[in-house]
Amino acid sequence: MGGFFSSLFSGLFGTREMRILILGLDGAGKTTILYRLQVGEVVTTIPTIGFNVETVTYKNLKFQVWDLGGQTSIRPYWRCYYSNTDAVIYVVDSSDRDRMGISKSELVAMLEEEELKKAILVVFANKQDMEQAMTPTEVANSLGLPALKDRKWQIFKTSATKGTGLDEAMEWLVEALKSRQ
Amino acid sequence: MFAKLKKKIAEEAATAPRSGGRMPRSMSKESITSVGADSGDDFASDGSSSRDDLPSQILRKNDHIRKLEAKLADYAEQLRLLQKTKEKLEIALETHQDSSMRKLQDQNESYQTNRAKMAEGMALALEKKDQEWMEKMAVLDQEKATLSARLAEMTEQSLSLFQKRDDLDELEGFQQQELAKVKHMLLKREEQLGQQERNLEQKEGELQTATQALAEAQGRLHELEQEHTESGRLNTELKAEREELLLVREEMELKVSQLETKEQQLQQLIQQVSEDFQQSQQTTLSLEKSLADLQKEHEELKLQQEQHRQKTLVEEEERERVLGNLQEKASSLQRRLESDLSQDEHLQELLKEKSLLEQRVEEARGELLQERTSRSSTVSSQEAQISRLNSNVTELQTLLRHKDDSNKAYRERTDEQIGALEQQVENFSQKLRSAELLLAESEAHTQTLQADWSEERERLQQQVATQRQRGLERCARLEEQLAALRTQTDTEHATAQEAKRELEEQKAELQRRHEEVESSLHTRTQELEQARADMSSRQTVNVEIAKALEDTRKQKEELQLQVGELTASQQTLQQEVSQLSGQLAAKEAEIQDLKEALNAAHAETEQMRAQAAERDQEHEAQLAAFRQEVISQTEQLDSCQSRVSDLQGELESMSVQLQGPEVGEGEQNGTVTVDDLDQLQKINKDLEQQLGDKNKTIKQLQQRLAELKRTLQKELKLKPDTETDGKEKVLEGRDRLERQMDRPSTEASGSAMAPTLAPGPSYASGSSGTTVINSSDLTDSREINFEYLKHVVLKFMSCREAEAFHLIRAVSVLLHFSPEEEAMLKQTLEYKMSWFGSKPSPKGTIRPSISASSNSASIMSASPNHWS
Repeated sequence: MGGFFSSLFSGLFGTREMRILILGLDGAGKTTILYRLQVGEVVTTIPTIGFNVETVTYKNLKFQVWDLGGQTSIRPYWRCYYSNTDAVIYVVDSSDRDRMGISKSELVAMLEEEELKKAILVVFANKQDMEQAMTPTEVANSLGLPALKDRKWQIFKTSATKGTGLDEAMEWLVEALKSRQ
Repeated sequence: MFAKLKKKIAEEAATAPRSGGRMPRSMSKESITSVGADSGDDFASDGSSSRDDLPSQILRKNDHIRKLEAKLADYAEQLRLLQKTKEKLEIALETHQDSSMRKLQDQNESYQTNRAKMAEGMALALEKKDQEWMEKMAVLDQEKATLSARLAEMTEQSLSLFQKRDDLDELEGFQQQELAKVKHMLLKREEQLGQQERNLEQKEGELQTATQALAEAQGRLHELEQEHTESGRLNTELKAEREELLLVREEMELKVSQLETKEQQLQQLIQQVSEDFQQSQQTTLSLEKSLADLQKEHEELKLQQEQHRQKTLVEEEERERVLGNLQEKASSLQRRLESDLSQDEHLQELLKEKSLLEQRVEEARGELLQERTSRSSTVSSQEAQISRLNSNVTELQTLLRHKDDSNKAYRERTDEQIGALEQQVENFSQKLRSAELLLAESEAHTQTLQADWSEERERLQQQVATQRQRGLERCARLEEQLAALRTQTDTEHATAQEAKRELEEQKAELQRRHEEVESSLHTRTQELEQARADMSSRQTVNVEIAKALEDTRKQKEELQLQVGELTASQQTLQQEVSQLSGQLAAKEAEIQDLKEALNAAHAETEQMRAQAAERDQEHEAQLAAFRQEVISQTEQLDSCQSRVSDLQGELESMSVQLQGPEVGEGEQNGTVTVDDLDQLQKINKDLEQQLGDKNKTIKQLQQRLAELKRTLQKELKLKPDTETDGKEKVLEGRDRLERQMDRPSTEASGSAMAPTLAPGPSYASGSSGTTVINSSDLTDSREINFEYLKHVVLKFMSCREAEAFHLIRAVSVLLHFSPEEEAMLKQTLEYKMSWFGSKPSPKGTIRPSISASSNSASIMSASPNHWS
């Protein structure tokens, strides 16, 4: 019944929950980012076998944020969640230069999906607090972002543990979602 | 051999001349060529004669035979010639042998002489060299001995040094251990120190806080003391105030008592006044009585007056009438006198006069009546005034009981007034009498009387009013004074009581505060004492800690000293070690130098030896060469002999057969075996080459294998296992699996095999020997997928409908739902989420066992409604 009322209220007040996916390779920091966005704290996480879904309110916009597990074996199931997605937050471990190619191929495969054609892409060059971290431009170049067409995207340097960069990214995302409506 | 050869040579040299050797050779050449030419001609003639007849053939044969005979003769001649040549050759051979033998002998001799010379020279040189070498060797031996001795010493020294070094190492080890221990102890001590310092700091902090608290407490104490002093001061002030207040209270009490006495006096006065009042009442009663009497008298007088008045009225009327008549008469008479008028007019005028007169009479009567009424009204008003006065008097008496004087005065006045009134009444009566007396005389008198009376009355009224007002005022003033006094007393009393109460309260409060302050002081003093105790304990603890610290510092210093000593000793030891090592190095260098010298000497000796050996070798080589030459010559000889024998054999075969095969089969066999050997060797070489190539290829393959393994291990982050081909295949299979996992099948979602099951066949096809690993891998991936499935299903069941709606796809993919089942799930969720619509009936193959019968399906479709 709660669903009825929530759906009723959402129908009445026109505040549809924005559906956002947080994707990325395992160990990129997706779950940490999710809970940093929701409760504003750094939580200790274990590898996500499955997913986490939380409702995050930011600037009067409600987000239904899905953090999908990024392990190799469960990466194929990402495409089960693509429908009706407003934005994709793609998290990249900036210090993991070896797997940047895998990350790129996953990103490219994801962006080719028809269901995600209208989704906004936000790339988080995460773990900027690490010493050997790549700069956002390096990450963008290694992911092949400049070659993207017909896609609204932006890259942000973030550190989920320090909490830097997330606000700017969310601000941009909110503005982008508002402008798109 | 040589002797024989010498003998032979000697014999040959004696027998055959030297020049004869060349002659047969030329001869034989010429004979051979001539023989050849002859035989050629014969053959040509044979060819031409072959076409002739048998007889001719026979002839020819005969000719041929003849020719052959001739040829035989020629052959015989040739044989002879050959024998000659043979002899010549033999001779030549002998000569050659002789010469060669001679040469050989000469050479041998020369060689032997040379050799002897050389040997001698060499022996000499060798002896010299040997001597030198021996000397050198001796020197070297000596050096060696010394060096060996030195070496021994050195080794001993080195051994001792090694021992020392070992000892040193041990010592260093011990030192390091001890140092480590010491460091450990130091660290511990430092930690303890740190802890103690921290404790100290904490305690200092506590102390500071305590001191702060103490300071605060002292400040508070000071404050409290100040407060106390202030409160004491306040107390004293309050006491003073209280005393003052008590004094005031006493005064007030005195005042109160005075006031009470005053009150009593006043009460007494009031009583007196009341008594006076009563008296005055009595007097008033008496006065009233007198007044009543007076009224009676007055009434009587009134009656008399009325009687008089009536009389006077009557008289007046009569007089008026008389007067009017007289006047009329006088007027008519005057008119008559004055004017001459007609009778009618006269009559009229008389009538007028009469009417006038009557009017006048009536007016006079009216006036009289008016006067009477006014008089009665005045009387009544007077009476009313009197009554009012009486009432006023009573009021005044009630009001002015405490004022005797005024009352008395008033009484007196009233008495006087009464007297005056009486007098007035008397006067009035007298006047009345006189008026009565004079009434008849004049109306004016009455009027004057009335006027006087009225004036007097007014005066009296005024006086009464003024007196009444005064009395009222006085009364009011007195009442006010009384009330004020009472209120004053009451207020004073109340204020005094309030002040008392307040003072008591203040006192109580002060006492309370005093008690509180005392209690707080007590607690503070206790706290102070506690704090002092704590302070003292902490100070003792601090002292102890300081002691401990000092001890530890001492220990530390000692340890540091020990460490310094140890380090110094270590340094000295190290210096010693370094010195020793330097010495050792120097000695080693010396040894090395010596060794090098030795080596050089050895090398020199070896060189020398080598030179000698080379020379020997050279000599030997020369000898060998000579021998080889000899051998070759003997071989040549042999070959020559063999040739000779061959030739002899040829000759013999020639002699036996005209044409004989001169092919040496033995030689062929020999070459064959050599060829075989060569072939075998070649085959061997080829095989060896092949072997080498194969080994190379094997190595390359192994390297490639290792590289592949490494890359695979890197990729898969697996532990390196023992190299087996099967494993390799497994890795390849896994690689393939990974590729499959990364690129999930993009076909139909429902029917497509999940990546868990997809790698199964590929594993099975990998190899039979690696199924165990494959199955473990499979179970691993299955476990992960099972965990994923579990998590997704759990979330699907627990989360909101809006979220669950997004999970349908994942669940249906994970559980391999058919599209119908997925659609059904979606419809059910939509039904749950919406308010309207009916529950979709489960269609398709949810319960395949039941779906066969439509009835049961309908039942099943109906039954979930109860559940939902």
